[in-house]
Amino acid sequence: MSPASNRLPFQAGIGLRTPHVNEVLAQCPDVPFFEVHSENYYLDGGPALASLARIRADYPLSLHGVGMSLGSADPLDLSHVEKLRTLIARIEPALVSEHLCWSGIAGRHLNDLFPLPYTDEALALACARVAELQERLGRAVAIENISSYLTFADSTIPEWDFVAALARRTGCKLLLDVNNIYVNATNHGFDADAYVAAIPPDAVAEIHLAGFETANGCLIDTHGAPVAPDVWALYARTIERLGSRPTLIEWDTEIPAFAVLQREAATAQGILEACNAVAA
Amino acid sequence: MQSLREIQRRFVEAVFSPEASIDFVAGSPASARDRTAIYRRTIFTNYHNALSATYPVVKRLTGAPFFHTAVDAFAHAYPSHSGDLNIYGDALGEFLATYPPAADLPYLADVARLEWAIDEAHRASEASCAPESVLAALAIAPPHRLPALRLRLEPSCRLVASPFPILRIWQTNQPGYSGDDRVMLDEGSDAMLIRRGDNGISLERLTAGDHAWLAALAAGGTLGTAIEAAQGADATFDLGVTLREQIAAGTIIAVVDM
Repeated sequence: MSPASNRLPFQAGIGLRTPHVNEVLAQCPDVPFFEVHSENYYLDGGPALASLARIRADYPLSLHGVGMSLGSADPLDLSHVEKLRTLIARIEPALVSEHLCWSGIAGRHLNDLFPLPYTDEALALACARVAELQERLGRAVAIENISSYLTFADSTIPEWDFVAALARRTGCKLLLDVNNIYVNATNHGFDADAYVAAIPPDAVAEIHLAGFETANGCLIDTHGAPVAPDVWALYARTIERLGSRPTLIEWDTEIPAFAVLQREAATAQGILEACNAVAA
Repeated sequence: MQSLREIQRRFVEAVFSPEASIDFVAGSPASARDRTAIYRRTIFTNYHNALSATYPVVKRLTGAPFFHTAVDAFAHAYPSHSGDLNIYGDALGEFLATYPPAADLPYLADVARLEWAIDEAHRASEASCAPESVLAALAIAPPHRLPALRLRLEPSCRLVASPFPILRIWQTNQPGYSGDDRVMLDEGSDAMLIRRGDNGISLERLTAGDHAWLAALAAGGTLGTAIEAAQGADATFDLGVTLREQIAAGTIIAVVDM
């Protein structure tokens, strides 16, 4: 493998999903970087893994995990960590990321991303798990803030302080999902800009953007729609504060034509460049 | 204040049992119930989507509503234990075999087993294969050691057998199939070798003897055990012919345990 680069450019990339892999391989579109879900390549061999290696040869690549369940009171699933370690060795990604969430307990996995109760106990546990993961992988991991539809009665720490404390205590990077901040601010009634202001800028290694849908007054993070106008505005204010960052368009359900994702990425790229122009 | 473990345990309970108390969720009881239900829907939709991708023929045979109801029951009975959703669902065949609503579709469980075998073949590791080296290894083995030898199969190889004509059922339910789609359940049994090659997945029909022989080897049995299994399944089993064929086809890639 002759890796394209080992750093994510400070530009707008695209989350690569299976329906678009062959098109990307055939046409080599001008995309600054791709990101894939790590678990989709927890394979021993076969054509999907071979395709990923070819894409990695031409593009910087980020591995985004959805199944580590870092916030579970259960121990880390070491077989899951080992599969990630194997994939990292194969692909040499520019960035490895996971979610600040839990997905199961007592050995049972629900394969979805659940919020933590934001308590001192959960913070201590999340810090220990992130530190353990970084230790076992021998590299820093970027941790993403998730969207949520409920909060826990026992929570005592604002989500943004919890996220910032995790980065400070473990030295982990943050993957700031601006759509998730907007969704949570709406669902739980807080100020999205105050959230962004609490995040240590140096920790932010990447930004995610996606679309949500609305059901009974609750915003659902479906990754199945264009980025909303309010989220573009929050993204612009976030970039203004942090400076430009590698930014990713995610679309996971009702996946549209690749050109639609390219248009969304072009919008993000325009905001990044406008911010750079002001800074320069 | 409840422990993190207790909150997580109660949340999981609430996902699977809508009547469970959810006083650990903030907000009014009605809103807490609505918000928990969003997670319940997402989780089961995730399972519907994941297993629809793995089991397209089972879904086509039953129709989506039946399939989704079956997946819901399956997810209760056979919880996921991994953060990798791609490897969830291996036991769907086992589940369907005793799922009362599927009693009228006795072949359904075996079709599920076939689709799982195909899924596993997609994910299996690569292996280089040199038939001449396998033949050379056999040639130098002392004759009295032959029954104790083990033969390693190419890693994507999977063996599936059924009393029903599941290969035809599978073929006639592929997207774009246009031919006679009537399958008589008494057409006969099927025994198959599934594997991944340069042109994707292949499904090859085997004699009962060859299937029993390969299945015994795949399970880690010795050549002696495999021959017994083959002869038990098919009195006309010819070891010399099968061995040559399966080595040439790249099914057998190594001789081990010498």
